[in-house]
Amino acid sequence: MRNALGLLFATIAAIAAVAIVGDYFAQSTSSQRFAGGPAALAGAPAASYQLKRLDGATDSLDRYRGRVVLVNLWASWCAPCRSETPALEKLYEQRRSQGLVVLGIDQGESGAAAATFARQLRLEYPILLDEDQRYGRAFSAIGLPTTIVVDKSGHIVRGIDGELSLAEMQQAVDPVLRL
Amino acid sequence: MSAAEGIRLPRAPRSDDSDAGSRRLALLCAGAIVALVFAQDFAPAWPGFHTWQYAAAVVLAAAGAGSYTWNARKGADGAFAFPLGVAMAGALVVAVAGLSSGLLGPDTQTLERAPGAVAPLPEAGAAAFFPNVDSTSLARGDIGITLRRRDGSSLELLAGQRRFLGAAALVLEPHVAAYVEARDARGDHLTITQPTNAAFLSSLLQFPQAVPIAGQTLPADQFAIPSAHRQIKAFYFSRDATSKAHVRGFAGEDAVLFAVDDENGKLVPNGIGLARSGDDIQLAGLRLRVTIGTYPGLAISAVPLPLALGLGSLCLAGGVLAAVLRVPLAGRRLSR
Repeated sequence: MRNALGLLFATIAAIAAVAIVGDYFAQSTSSQRFAGGPAALAGAPAASYQLKRLDGATDSLDRYRGRVVLVNLWASWCAPCRSETPALEKLYEQRRSQGLVVLGIDQGESGAAAATFARQLRLEYPILLDEDQRYGRAFSAIGLPTTIVVDKSGHIVRGIDGELSLAEMQQAVDPVLRL
Repeated sequence: MSAAEGIRLPRAPRSDDSDAGSRRLALLCAGAIVALVFAQDFAPAWPGFHTWQYAAAVVLAAAGAGSYTWNARKGADGAFAFPLGVAMAGALVVAVAGLSSGLLGPDTQTLERAPGAVAPLPEAGAAAFFPNVDSTSLARGDIGITLRRRDGSSLELLAGQRRFLGAAALVLEPHVAAYVEARDARGDHLTITQPTNAAFLSSLLQFPQAVPIAGQTLPADQFAIPSAHRQIKAFYFSRDATSKAHVRGFAGEDAVLFAVDDENGKLVPNGIGLARSGDDIQLAGLRLRVTIGTYPGLAISAVPLPLALGLGSLCLAGGVLAAVLRVPLAGRRLSR
C-alpha cells in the first residue's frame, strides 16, 4: 500500500511538473516568435487594401500574387525616403525582368504631394495613395521608410525599418526571386 | 436480512472513528481546494487571488489533504487509504496549479495597443493581433481582436466574450479612442505620425496619459503632422467633463480639445480648439477632423494550467468515486 501510494503520488507530481515546465518553454518560444516592428511580421500573410494609384487606377497588393513584391512605405516630407528612392528605382530597372514588382505606397498624403515627388525623382514603379495610412499600421511601421518583401504566395519574407542602400535591397529580394 | 444489508460490502479493515474524522477533514480540505482554485476560472480578474491571504487558505487546505495522504501511506484508514490517497494527491496537484497562477502568477493586466500591433501572449500560447481601424468602425465600437495560436489556428474575441487559452483568461475591454484626420488649408490630406508611440503611423489616439485641466483629470494623447512641422496635444472630454467644464455648445457631448504646437513645443497662435465627433475644426492653418468611439483593449488574467487542473481533478473525482463505491450504500455509516 505504502509503495503503491508513493509511486502514484510521484507519477502525478512528475506529470504536473512536466506540464508546468513544458508550458514555460512553450511560452519562451512564443515570446521569441512575436517581437515588435515590421521585422516581426516575417511569415505572416501580407495585408492588402484596395487603393487609388497615382495614375487614377485602383490597385492592391493582392493583384501581384504570384510575383515577388517589394513594398516601400514613404511620404514626401520624409528625407530618408527621398534619398532612398533612386536606389529603389534602380532596383526596379534591374530586377523587373526577373519578376520583381516595386510598389511605393505614400502614407497619409493626397495625390498632389505624391505626384510632385514622383515627378521630381522620375519614378517608373507604381505608386499607391494610402491616405488612411492603413498599410503603415498593418505593416507595424515604426518609422519611414519601411520596406516589406512579399513572396509569390503573398507572405511577408522580411520587414525592414529605415533607409536601405541598393546592395541591401538586392540582398533582401534576390533570395526570394530565386525560389 | 433487509435489502440494505444484502448489498453490504466488506468492512474496511483497521478503520475507526479517528480515521473517519480525518477522512471527513481531508474531503473538506479537498472541497475547499477545488472551490478556491476553480474560483479563479469564474472570476479571473479578482485581485484577491494574488494575495498572501488567498495563498495561505490554499496552503492550509493543501496541508489537510496532504496529511491524510501521509497517514494513508503509513497504513491508516484501511481500504479507504488507497482511493482517498489518490483523491488527495489530485487535490494537491489542483492546489499547486492554483498557487502557481495565484500567488506566483502575474496580476491581471490590460493591453492597449495601436492598430496593426501584435502582442505576444506567452501565458496563452498565442499572439493578439490588434485590428486596423477606420473612422466608421471606430464609431460603431464593435471591433474585435484576433488571437492566433502557436499551431497557426486563429479565433476572434469580441466585446463581452471571455476565452481561456493556456494558463490565461482573455477578456475584451473596449476603451475610448479617437481617429484623427488632418488636411492643410487647400484640403490636401496630411500624414499623421505618433513619434512617441510604437505604431508610428497610427491615426488612432488612445489617450494613455491623464492630465489635470480646469479642475478635472482628462485622458490625453499627442500626435504630429511632420509636413506642417506641428505637434498636437489632444485631451478627451467625456460628456460629464464637457458638462462640468460648462463649455458653451458642448455640454453633454463627447469632444476632443486640440492644442497645436510648433516643432519647439511652443503653442501656435489660434492653435487651441474643441471638436465634436465628426466635425471639422480649423486650427493654425490645419483642418482637423476627429471621430470618437471605442477601440478594444485585452485584459489578461492568469488562471490555473488546464492540464494540471484536469489531471488533479480527475484523480480527485476518481479517488472519491472509488472510495464511495467501497462503502455500503444504505443502512451503514461511511465509517465503522
